[in-house]
Amino acid sequence: MSKFEQKLEESIASLPSAKQPERELWRGIELGIEAQQHEADKAAGKPFVSDRQWFALAASVCVVTLLWFAIPSVFTPVSNETTNYAVIEKMSQQQQTQVTRLLTSFERTPALTEDWQAQLNELDEAASAVKLALKNDPNNTALIRMLHHVYQQQIALIERVHAPKWQQI
Amino acid sequence: MEPTQQRAVHLTSVFGLSDEDCCISAAKAGDKQAFKSLYDKHIGNVYGLCYRLTGDKGLAEDAAQEVFIQLWKKLDNYQGQSKFSTWLHSVTANITVSYMRKQRNWVQRMFSLEASTAMSLPSEVCTTDVDLEALVVRLPERARMVFVLHAIEGYRHEDIATMLGMAVGSSKAQFHRAKQLLKTWMGCEDE
Repeated sequence: MSKFEQKLEESIASLPSAKQPERELWRGIELGIEAQQHEADKAAGKPFVSDRQWFALAASVCVVTLLWFAIPSVFTPVSNETTNYAVIEKMSQQQQTQVTRLLTSFERTPALTEDWQAQLNELDEAASAVKLALKNDPNNTALIRMLHHVYQQQIALIERVHAPKWQQI
Repeated sequence: MEPTQQRAVHLTSVFGLSDEDCCISAAKAGDKQAFKSLYDKHIGNVYGLCYRLTGDKGLAEDAAQEVFIQLWKKLDNYQGQSKFSTWLHSVTANITVSYMRKQRNWVQRMFSLEASTAMSLPSEVCTTDVDLEALVVRLPERARMVFVLHAIEGYRHEDIATMLGMAVGSSKAQFHRAKQLLKTWMGCEDE
């Protein structure tokens, strides 16, 4: 055996078998596994409702309940038209805050569909139309309920299209 | 104590299974915490092999992630006929090679960059200690993969040829090329 061959063998034998990566890899792996599972569930036609989605749903219910206690006038007819529309404006602001918070929390989560923003815009337009109608008729409880329903749809859409992948341990 | 740990302790005491066997069983049943335990135990070896095969830290990290993502699906294939680490090593080699092949610049790396990366290292004196790993990652891609798989991992040229989609003769030629380059870089070319 030549000196090189001997040296090569020695060097190979002394190579460490393990080497630690510099980057934290587990989070990416977890996301990949979740994506795999989601794909498999989708292929199998199973409904995909994750812990995070349940959590977001529960949070939405809490917001509505809080709204119920904090601003009961939203849910009951009010005689003063100006006051009533101010409450609607407040509800819109809260909705905007809630939507922004959700979008921020899902910022790094890939959406399941590509056209969800278009759907969100459609709901926005619907909400604007209802609000315009409410401006002329602030005591119309059917319109108030409709606006509330549109807002709920917005929240549900954002939650539905973002597959929460890291909380399903 | 975590549920996975409790289950592991129970299975270990009742059936005489090792902690790793318990983690494998639990991970097969969908327990991600158990899978994380397997990850923690084997990431060093998996990444080490990925790094030697790819010759690039970033690519090796991506490949190691791919290995564990695919491992989650493939765990059912492990029937315990060999040691888990041996089986995982083979899975890692195959997935990393496939992963590298899928990379967009595969053709470019294979045909354009090989020559330019090969000859640029100064020779050392043959008697000094060498950092073989540092030299191996500088080998041209095909030569490096063949060298790692054959000389370090012990694969036969026939298996390497299948894995890399090349002729057996090409595998042997690449191995010879790798050795020649290493010989030069290690300062042993006069022998």
